[in-house]
Amino acid sequence: MSLRSFVTICASPRQHVGKTLLARMLIDFHLRSERTVAGFDLNERDAALNQFHPNHTTCSEIGEIQGQMALFDALVADNGVHKVVDLGHEAFERFFLVAQQIGLGEETRKRKVAAVILYVVSPDAASVEAYAALARLFPQLTLVPVHNEMLGSAQHRDKFQPHGDGSQLLHLPLLAPGLRRVIEQRPFSFVETSGPAAPDVPLDIHIELQRWMRKLFLEFRELELRVLMADLKSSIQPRHN
Amino acid sequence: MAKPTVILVGADKGGVGKTTVARTLLDYFTAHQVAIRAFDTEAPRGSLKRFHPDITEVVDVTQVGDQMKIFDTLANSAADVTVIDVRAGLLSSTLRSLNEIGFLDTAKKGQITFAVFHILGPSIASLDEIAETAEIIGDANYYLVKNFINNTTFFEWDPATYSSYFNRIKGAKDVTVAKLNEMACEQVEVAGVPFVSFVANKGANGEPANFSFVLRGYVRHWLGNVWSEYDQVKLMDLVGSKADDGAMQAAG
Repeated sequence: MSLRSFVTICASPRQHVGKTLLARMLIDFHLRSERTVAGFDLNERDAALNQFHPNHTTCSEIGEIQGQMALFDALVADNGVHKVVDLGHEAFERFFLVAQQIGLGEETRKRKVAAVILYVVSPDAASVEAYAALARLFPQLTLVPVHNEMLGSAQHRDKFQPHGDGSQLLHLPLLAPGLRRVIEQRPFSFVETSGPAAPDVPLDIHIELQRWMRKLFLEFRELELRVLMADLKSSIQPRHN
Repeated sequence: MAKPTVILVGADKGGVGKTTVARTLLDYFTAHQVAIRAFDTEAPRGSLKRFHPDITEVVDVTQVGDQMKIFDTLANSAADVTVIDVRAGLLSSTLRSLNEIGFLDTAKKGQITFAVFHILGPSIASLDEIAETAEIIGDANYYLVKNFINNTTFFEWDPATYSSYFNRIKGAKDVTVAKLNEMACEQVEVAGVPFVSFVANKGANGEPANFSFVLRGYVRHWLGNVWSEYDQVKLMDLVGSKADDGAMQAAG
């Protein structure tokens, strides 16, 4: 198996669709798997990811080249660290413009880094168009549509076809009523609710959170396995000249 | 065997990016597997030579001995293309010298392919250079290069005035070199390697380097744009034409 680490970009051109929650969960997923993880917060206004995970997250900005170097050079570094990007809607266009110009897709592939875009879908035309553009401009990346069940039941599958190695619709499960208030405390780690440093969370809420977390972690685990399997398959396929 | 091709890169003003354009040409032909050599007329130190030391020789183009080194070796050289990076201010005088030694006549007869890359500055004076240069070179392949790499703004130019100069030269072709991010540009300068080596993250001797992925990406993107300009003006056609019967004799 040749892929050595994952770069996951949680993205959408829309705000309030659950990108940061997704990024938080991914960081927790890597931590739970006892991996080294680095989060990059590209939310211009509130640096939400950084507030939830201050020990694992860096605030990034990509308006100037120094910031671009700090972010993208870190993303492609082949150092075994898994990276999670929380791409705020204001930085969406700029991020992918730079990524396309500098060849992020080619470079990650060259360095055996699996690059995945988790795209939280929404029914508006801008979101559909942006998704299609990403599929066209980044054929080397795995583009995964994410259905956030908190946004409603419609899945818009026909407009957001999975694209790239191992892609398949990913579900961000509905959060039970009352849990949101708990998980919005900052900082908050889902993983730490079960450890000795767990915050004061009532038992019933704790159980519900664990159930919800396991569901989502299973989605992440399956996505990883599909990507790794696709890579394995392509590496053992006989090459025809 | 292809006819020898000579490309002169010059301007009558310094700081317009002649060497940068010469470097992109060397990279372009190398990428197309065309054997090349270069002459750097920034004697005695040279500036092109710093980036392409293996294929570049520093010469003083005003000296007969060095002129012989360039032009008398065309037919016997393993290189199909000879690029000459002409020192600032010497374009017109170099062209006049080439005229005097009969080189331009040889080109006119089609025995040698001759091209001039005239790098334009932002001033009106630069447009006057076009007229002056055009008078000397006649039917040679003439490329007018607007180089934005140094963030040049061609503010003094009225498009109609530019067109009137441009149209005076039969078959002149327009090439635009886009701006490259300053830091990326600076890092390649510091590294002292060809653009393609920088993009490939390699040092001067082909050893692995540690250049920023972002800067390499910007250089790759920019170089791709420059090369697509060269594709657009069909630069490879210069070396595509085969020698006719008298070519080798004349060049030798």
